[in-house]
Amino acid sequence: MSFGLEYDVIQVTLLSLYVAGAATVLGCMIGIPLGSLIGLKEFGGKSALKTITYTMYGFPPVISGLVIYYLFSRAGPFGSLGILFTPTAMILAETLLVIPLATGITITEVAEVDRSIKDTIRALGASRRISTLTVMREAWVGLVMAAMIGFGRCIAEVGAAYMVGGNIQGETRTLTTAIMLETRMGKFDYAIGLGIVLISVAMAVFLFLRLLQEKEHL
Amino acid sequence: MKKSTKILVSIVAVAVILTSALALVFLTPQKQYLRMATTTSTQDSGLLDYILPVFENKSNCIVEVIAVGSGQALEMGKRGDVDVLMVHSPASEVTFVSGGYGTNRTQLMYNWFVIVGPDDDPAGTRNATNASDAFQRILDNGTAGNATFVSRADNSGTHTKELGIWAALGYNKTEVAAFDVSWYKQAGQGMGAVLDMCEDMEAYTLSDDATYYSRVEAGIIPSLNITKAGDSALKNQYSMILVNSTMWPHINKTMAMDFLSWIVSKDGQDLIKSYERYGQQLFTPNAPGYTSTTSLSITCVQAEKDMAVQASKGFETTRRLPAGPIPCNYGEGNA
Repeated sequence: MSFGLEYDVIQVTLLSLYVAGAATVLGCMIGIPLGSLIGLKEFGGKSALKTITYTMYGFPPVISGLVIYYLFSRAGPFGSLGILFTPTAMILAETLLVIPLATGITITEVAEVDRSIKDTIRALGASRRISTLTVMREAWVGLVMAAMIGFGRCIAEVGAAYMVGGNIQGETRTLTTAIMLETRMGKFDYAIGLGIVLISVAMAVFLFLRLLQEKEHL
Repeated sequence: MKKSTKILVSIVAVAVILTSALALVFLTPQKQYLRMATTTSTQDSGLLDYILPVFENKSNCIVEVIAVGSGQALEMGKRGDVDVLMVHSPASEVTFVSGGYGTNRTQLMYNWFVIVGPDDDPAGTRNATNASDAFQRILDNGTAGNATFVSRADNSGTHTKELGIWAALGYNKTEVAAFDVSWYKQAGQGMGAVLDMCEDMEAYTLSDDATYYSRVEAGIIPSLNITKAGDSALKNQYSMILVNSTMWPHINKTMAMDFLSWIVSKDGQDLIKSYERYGQQLFTPNAPGYTSTTSLSITCVQAEKDMAVQASKGFETTRRLPAGPIPCNYGEGNA
């Protein structure tokens, strides 16, 4: 469906969801284990590592885009893979944004749960592995929150998406880069229409994640 | 289910998914792709949406368009990230080709830059004899605190053209960048955004006419007017360049050549010529060997027709076109 635009809005929306979703999943797959490792283990330099992780919450998307551009440009070290200006490159750039969020939130969550229940379950005779898994289960609400915040950052992201995706019609055009294009063309009404689509889609995803959060917690 | 069975099932499931994905990739008949970096004006004006489907149907090839500033487009070509370039920054293009990064640089089409500014024209650019004179007036009035100029300042083709006009007045790039911020604003933004800023700041800028008209039509810049146009120094020449395929073997050279031959052919050029918006032809094709029927006198007639069309669309003709004679020297100096 094009709604008077030159491109398929449904396809653009699905691509936005795919890129942000995949980046969130990848970022969480790396960030959550990393965060629970940092949060549950005691080691030297832990506080410094935590500070660095929290600082990276504000990692600028445009830098993430630039890094991925340079790595995967044909003249860059991984240029032969030919993934620049494909959704894959966009996913990688946005994964870089999710990792620190997922790591940091997991650190905070597991540390909190850990303190409150570790002693109890240890006293009940749980092994180290079982106790870690229990902590993770208890921290579920927080971990889903990490995914929500990560997804929110990705779906709203435009700088990196434009830089490494190229806003190619039918290939790498997402809702945010389409909004930028329409604005640049002076079609503010279309831009606002796409903005409403973007907000609605994000809201639907967040509702779903919240249901997931509550259901599992009951 | 036993744990080992579960693991086995998951492995089989993943394998099936991966195999079918690979099969999908390899078994679908391969459509060809051509990646083109171009300036924002060709995309934003709607030209590419108008002409590319014709080529795509004819050659079963998808042209992937990446619209950025000309500076960035050339950089993409240098790094081998695109197959072909459609740009409008002649000086940088020459450097690009002589550096061995590109081949077959071919003149494609042109449109016009215009100097736009606030309705009351505080710098008096409407009375300027040419583009340089208009810039001189903006500079004089700017330093005196009576006028403001917004520069793209983003290495785009338009920015390069602006620097060229300053250079004609004896200011090099560094000197221009050092102009006082009180009157010379370096925005680092796209053309549309800069026009919006000018509307807001009652400032002058250099714009390509397609972007200017699209924003006038959208009603976003009601108080900005063309104050100087028609000087041959304001011609905006677009060229095609093929990215060096010896340097970058992955480049789709055959399709790039096909595309170039088509777009400079009579078919391609006629198609560009037939693209009209805002009541006027936006780009004039001028590939080597293409004989345009547009002569000087026809251009004059066309300009009058444009005024009539604009008037009928509710534009105030006297406000939208430069005061004084209609710029009939539009045809001047064209190859």
